[in-house]
Amino acid sequence: MNPGVSPALAGVTGSVDLHSTDSAVDLTDKVHLLPCIVRYNGPCPVSDYFKTNITGVEGDGLKVQEAYFRGRRIQGTAVPLPNGYHGYVLGKKDGVKGKELKGSDEESNDWSSYAEFQNITYWNHDDMPSNDDPIMRCFHWFTIADALHKPVTEEDLSTVSNVKHQS
Amino acid sequence: MDSESFPTSLIKWSSDEPCIMGIDEAGRGPVLGPMVYGCMYCPLSYKNTVASLEFADSKTLKEEKREELFENLKLDSCIGWEVDVIDPRELSAKMLKKTKINLNEISHNSAMGLIRRVLDLGVILTEVYLDTVGDADKYRIKISERFPGIKIVVSKKADSIYPIVSGASIVAKVTRDRAVRNWVLSETAENIDGEFGSGYPADPVTKAWLKRNKHFVFGFPSLVRFSWGTCSSYLKDGVEVAWEADEEDADSSSKNTGKRKIKLTNIGISGGHKKGNEAVQSSGKGRCMFLQTRKLELIKQFK
Repeated sequence: MNPGVSPALAGVTGSVDLHSTDSAVDLTDKVHLLPCIVRYNGPCPVSDYFKTNITGVEGDGLKVQEAYFRGRRIQGTAVPLPNGYHGYVLGKKDGVKGKELKGSDEESNDWSSYAEFQNITYWNHDDMPSNDDPIMRCFHWFTIADALHKPVTEEDLSTVSNVKHQS
Repeated sequence: MDSESFPTSLIKWSSDEPCIMGIDEAGRGPVLGPMVYGCMYCPLSYKNTVASLEFADSKTLKEEKREELFENLKLDSCIGWEVDVIDPRELSAKMLKKTKINLNEISHNSAMGLIRRVLDLGVILTEVYLDTVGDADKYRIKISERFPGIKIVVSKKADSIYPIVSGASIVAKVTRDRAVRNWVLSETAENIDGEFGSGYPADPVTKAWLKRNKHFVFGFPSLVRFSWGTCSSYLKDGVEVAWEADEEDADSSSKNTGKRKIKLTNIGISGGHKKGNEAVQSSGKGRCMFLQTRKLELIKQFK
């Protein structure tokens, strides 16, 4: 991108490269969505401190896990991403591999995937996870997205035209 | 909740003999480790013998003496005992719940849990003695209502007045000390050490340990009771963590309704990219109900 382009326009063009790393890190079972805001972005020894236990309890058909964070007991469940969907951890792309682009990141809008995951473990404070939780309900979108955007097959078309002819 | 108990097979007295019981706690004040409730019971006829066993308020005894007395009472077939070890994680979690359970409530429940447990063993309790937690009279009424027919004596300094309570205090104190001494940290970070001292917030060894072992994101190892006021002073320079439960507190006290709560309803989906503009709810104007209720938002630009 031109260095002269104003940051406001940076969102207009850009790229997301989902296959740029030679060996993508698999973060399945390691992506957690906590019921709080942690005002920090950066590396942190999660596995040393954040210990999750499978409780053996099942609620709403979900396997309940338990953990503690900052003294709070949280209960969560691992939600698989639906077939055909992948989770990615994206980072700003840089010419030099492994080196983060700092200071000038307003100018770049090119992203690449650093890790992938096939599930998300989301956590509630106090409450058991349930199918009524917002994150679970978000997954309803996938069905709608399919209906809206899935390529129409010939079969679909013929059904529609049949209906027309009948009426 | 762990429990250890006197093997009932040792009971030498006949099962219809009325018994007295003392209950006491150890580790209520410390900022780390479990809180332990202990009880000791014996037949009414053994009461005077218990008084001669040199039990005294456990705090006035040396550790070796307490250990010795505990080992002796374990061997005494006329004395039964039970403990309720309340994990520090459980203490923190209850005190930091959305609907908070305070320490007095936790203490009351633990003490009453011990009475229940001993009754369930088939022991006929006629008198129970314990130190007060909160208002003595209210506490006595609360226990009496739960266990009608048992004479409940709630008194300040019960552990130095009634030998059966002194005995219970030894059971509790020795159990707590051993638990802290043998504590296995669940955290696997290599640099956490076990020199935490007495655990009292004023103990210089404890203070130094808290300072040395705090973590900027996770706070402390889960041995620490996060709900203790003293913790927040150590975490001042750590990463700020905001919970919905805290905001509800702030809301009810400052009448800052709605606005702050919305901040958190965002976090799942739109998290982070709205820095400085967090009070805007993720569902925008003119979007259909389906998307609004699921807090789904179109993100036009990564940041």
